Amino acid sequence: MEGCSEPQLDAKAKVTNQLIDFQWKLGMAVSSDSCRSLKYPYVAVILKVADPSGQVKNKSFEMTIPQFQNFYRQFKEIAAVIETV
Amino acid sequence: MLLDLSEEHKEHLAFLPQVDSAGKLSVSSDTVQHGVEGLIHLLTESSKLMISELDFQDSVFVLGFSEELNKLLLQLYLDNRKEIRTILSELAPDLPSYHSLEWRLDVQLASRSLRQQMKPSVTIKLHLNQNGDHNTQVLQTDPATLLHLVQQLEQALEEMKTNHCRRVVRNIK
Repeated sequence: MEGCSEPQLDAKAKVTNQLIDFQWKLGMAVSSDSCRSLKYPYVAVILKVADPSGQVKNKSFEMTIPQFQNFYRQFKEIAAVIETV
Repeated sequence: MLLDLSEEHKEHLAFLPQVDSAGKLSVSSDTVQHGVEGLIHLLTESSKLMISELDFQDSVFVLGFSEELNKLLLQLYLDNRKEIRTILSELAPDLPSYHSLEWRLDVQLASRSLRQQMKPSVTIKLHLNQNGDHNTQVLQTDPATLLHLVQQLEQALEEMKTNHCRRVVRNIK
């Protein structure tokens, strides 16, 4: 029986969505219609994702600094686990 | 303007004279349903077109009903015409309309491609209504474009005050 080093269902195969681009920016909100004096820092991310047919969609979202720190921690964990595999 | 009643419509309405005010209706439920639908169609078409009393009477005359029933139908039409027209006016196609607006003034400090920035921008959350549904649209722009947008909108409002627009609005009223 021949062994497979790569599975059929992976990021390169035309079955799942593909991450094309990851853009980010750091901003600070200084004023809004509900609060005139703000000092609210946030991270805004735009993900460019292509579906199996090739159509690209943009998905944008914002995170507060604590939310971003949690977000970052997830990736640190993933990286750590990959090291052990 | 006379109403153009189809043969099928006339058949449905033929049920009306048979309704005995005192007793039960000894006909099939289909006949009753068609009769009611026929009556509804007669009233909504008449109201939609805003036909005159005379035209309504002439249109109903072809059905061959009694004098009494014709008078009853005319009264029904005149009594309910205004309300029917109000309801019909709400059936027009509906584009998304403004509900409310939230805004936020941001300063971009850094991005993946450039650090040490001070770029101002305005983020707007536009709340819209459409057919009872609530939609939101998030937009972002720089202050110069926002100023331009405001100027364009003000210009649109200014147009309402021109002689041409005033004349058109006066003539419609």
